[in-house]
Amino acid sequence: MSLKWYIITRILLAVPMFFILLFMIFLVMRILPGDPVLAMLGGKAPMSVIEAKRHELGYDKPLLNQFGDYLLDIIKGDLGRSALTKRPIADEIADKLPATIELTIFGFIVALVIGIFWGAEATKRHGGVLDITGRVYAIFIYSIPVFWLGMLFQWFFGVKLKWLPIAGRISPLLRPDKITGMYLFDSLFTWNMPALKDASLHIILPSLALGLIISSVFLRMVRGNMVLMLSQDFVKAARARGIKENSVIYRHALKNAFVPIMTVMGLQLAALMAGAVLTETTFSWPGIGSYLVEKIRYRDFPAIQGTIAVYAIIVVAISIIVDIINALVDPRVRY
Amino acid sequence: MQEWSLSYRLGKGLRRLFRDKSGVMAFVGFAILLTYLIMAIFAPYLAPYDPVRRSGKAFSAPSKEHWFGTTNLGYDVLSRIIYGAKIALKIAFLAVAVAAAIGIPLGLISGYVGGAFDRILSMFMDAIYSFPGLILAIAIAAVLGPGVINVALSIAVIYAPTYFRVIRNQVASLKDQLFVEAARAMGARNFSILGRYILPNVLPSVIVVLSMNLADAIMTEAGLSFLGLGISPPTPDWGYDLSNGQRFLLLNYWWMILFPGLAIITIVLGFSLFSEGLNEFLNPNVGETRR
Repeated sequence: MSLKWYIITRILLAVPMFFILLFMIFLVMRILPGDPVLAMLGGKAPMSVIEAKRHELGYDKPLLNQFGDYLLDIIKGDLGRSALTKRPIADEIADKLPATIELTIFGFIVALVIGIFWGAEATKRHGGVLDITGRVYAIFIYSIPVFWLGMLFQWFFGVKLKWLPIAGRISPLLRPDKITGMYLFDSLFTWNMPALKDASLHIILPSLALGLIISSVFLRMVRGNMVLMLSQDFVKAARARGIKENSVIYRHALKNAFVPIMTVMGLQLAALMAGAVLTETTFSWPGIGSYLVEKIRYRDFPAIQGTIAVYAIIVVAISIIVDIINALVDPRVRY
Repeated sequence: MQEWSLSYRLGKGLRRLFRDKSGVMAFVGFAILLTYLIMAIFAPYLAPYDPVRRSGKAFSAPSKEHWFGTTNLGYDVLSRIIYGAKIALKIAFLAVAVAAAIGIPLGLISGYVGGAFDRILSMFMDAIYSFPGLILAIAIAAVLGPGVINVALSIAVIYAPTYFRVIRNQVASLKDQLFVEAARAMGARNFSILGRYILPNVLPSVIVVLSMNLADAIMTEAGLSFLGLGISPPTPDWGYDLSNGQRFLLLNYWWMILFPGLAIITIVLGFSLFSEGLNEFLNPNVGETRR
């Protein structure tokens, strides 16, 4: 199969996956014994008000019709309107999404660097210092809630040392002109140095907290896959040819361990997004995570559903991208 | 020493336990968990103060009277942590029990029956599994509202697919094994094949998943209550206490965030160590590959 056809079939296969995901989430949210309208209005509203609100939001229709409406909103592309602000939910999310992407990218980079290098170096000597500390680190950091680590950073670097800002994305007056909505890139494109510096300082703590937490999984995974690879014959052959150990580790073993690592990392992006919700809340980072939490506080259920749909789109998109990259790196995957 | 004496057997068992790192890990984890369990059960006797009553000046730093300081309302932080173990463990156990009660039977049936039923159910379970767990739990908790049962339910939904997948895959490969065929040839009914021949074979892996899930459930519960979706205040809850402490972070009241956080970390660490040790103990051949 050519690469082009592989990509096309993969995307076509993702469509049913997306709808099943949406249906499942919709079902779970509705099948459980909660009532969004009651939650929205509180327990003391008169029956007539509750009925009217239920009708306004379409919650009095049969479940399947409601799901149909939900899908229609998604296909139309506006995701419906917020019950609170009455703006199209898609617009509101589009304002917030770049912040989340920016945070996720830098968190991912932190996790990737720690995971790959520490994981690969740890396999050089079984039971060596890096190996043991790596394992202890992975278990310890896995047990730390990301928001607690974030608060610790805020307290230490923000309150005690006063080195770094502890909330928001940028100082209010420095916001760069909007191109992508990601401040670091925008300020770089427009060569806006004060904004670049300020945005960089703001992103350090949140991305470090998020990245460190996720790095434990990466570290374990890289280490596990590398150990498997290093027991293979081609590694023995490379060593027998007198190739330097560094080169054996990074150019032979790591390259071949890449496909399983990529796949699991793709799955970890889901965990990264969940962690981003907590990180954003901790650092008042105005992304879709904070948006979701804010909407929950105001019981704006159309907006909550819309945000969940966006997460579903992201999950499906990531799985497609991971598969395509795998197919690019390893031609065997295509067949 | 005589081989059948109790002390000899006990010593042998212990030696076996401590022969390698996994045993030590499981033991340390178990000790931590036991501590927290005792804390949760005997909270009224162990806690120096009532966790929801003013017991001293607000924001007093750690001292002899208040080992871990007091909160903005003058509550004793240590007492709140001790009582908080109760909520954390209650929700975690409840959530994992519900998740297992949904996931295990469905996995058994799905793997055993196979065919279209299996494929459709697996598809749905995979859909939930691929979605970021905490975000799904947030959405469900938002619909259900606060409360122990509701929080446990929202956590249970996201972990049920884990049990389903583990069980289903094992059952699918076990059902064609010789011993199952032999049971069938002897006229055993499907129900007893599942319950008496297949279930005992898949249980060891379930136990490991259970203890790992308890760690994740505590983490998720802390996250939910940090976001204000957990138990209603002033019930002592570590996640809520952390979000409360963050409001006063700028004023340098570090004890309000340090100690509840350490409580979460140690209990999660206990469960992870325990499950990891248990994993190598129960399933020695599926553990990490050794060079």
